[in-house]
Amino acid sequence: MSKTLSNPEAAPLTDSRRARVGWRVYLTVVAILFALLCAFLITRYTEYRKVQEKFYGQTLVPANEAFDFHMVDQEGRPFQLSQLRGKTVLFSFGFTHCPNVCPTTLAELAKVYHTVPEKDRQLVQILFVTIDPARDRADKLKEYVPYFDPSFIGLTGSADQIAQAAKAYGVSYEKQHNTGDDPDVYFMNHSAYTYLVGPDGKWRILYGFDQLNETEKVAGDVERIIHGY
Amino acid sequence: MPILISGFLCSAGIADELKIEKAWIQSVPPTADATAAYMIIRNTGTQPFVLVGGSSPIAKEIQPMVTTRVKQNGNEILGMGSVDKLEIEPGATLVLKPGGNHLMLMDLLSHPKEGERVKLTIRFDPGNKAIDLDVPIYKQAP
Repeated sequence: MSKTLSNPEAAPLTDSRRARVGWRVYLTVVAILFALLCAFLITRYTEYRKVQEKFYGQTLVPANEAFDFHMVDQEGRPFQLSQLRGKTVLFSFGFTHCPNVCPTTLAELAKVYHTVPEKDRQLVQILFVTIDPARDRADKLKEYVPYFDPSFIGLTGSADQIAQAAKAYGVSYEKQHNTGDDPDVYFMNHSAYTYLVGPDGKWRILYGFDQLNETEKVAGDVERIIHGY
Repeated sequence: MPILISGFLCSAGIADELKIEKAWIQSVPPTADATAAYMIIRNTGTQPFVLVGGSSPIAKEIQPMVTTRVKQNGNEILGMGSVDKLEIEPGATLVLKPGGNHLMLMDLLSHPKEGERVKLTIRFDPGNKAIDLDVPIYKQAP
């Protein structure tokens, strides 16, 4: 304080130098942070590319714990996804009154299942989750789902349970009344993706509806997952 | 695949102008109340036709349907919409396929299995002309 007073001309110089040094430090920190961010993004992207190249479906990198839905299976027993730990699980959401998209999805999944070599098939489980729990109760699913393959499991639940699972996997669905006034006559509009959860319980891959007809490629992904990629 | 022209209702060869290929119906579980018929329809004639519907002993009603695809937050939602007709311009091809346009067979009266064949009559305007088909049942797209 007294120094500043005794040399009034030095004070502004010192302040501006301080300001310059301050700016330099600030810019250096910003540059380092930016470089770190770039490095992080590049690493993430490279990792994603590396994983994506191995698989036909859309991979999720990093793969996170799959939402462990709690439902009721086609025998009316409680069912939760995590009880399939150790298996590679493929599942899709749909409804049994569906004439086109859902039977196609299930028929394609049956082809995939039978393309996986027999020795590995016991390590694969395919599920069909209804988004129309009001009409698709366990007995209905029991008549519907195993038709495509006896090993397939149909799942239903309360409206809340279905909604929770759908939200966790980004599934949208809504009723669409098409004809007449009968409240029981309706279709469901719904997203028609197929989800692959690895034996470690992580959600690894997503397939669009149009990707499923490449049976060999989907079965190849299943094989790679089973064998630990 | 034999294409039989439906009697005298069908004047000079609608089947000459519309070529039906690869027709099939998807087999569905006995509990299902609907299924779909798929095929490729080529209009080799000089006038436009519209597919208006059809009939079959296995369904009460048959209706042309379109599959709608809506993107919502990057998430594709598939839905169905019934339409009165599907148009086929001269020289054009109408593809009915899984996940796309199709003929929906509603209120199924029977559930034929893979390997069986069923009669399917499809109708076109102008003139409500019919083409009779004998269609195989498949579990999966051939």
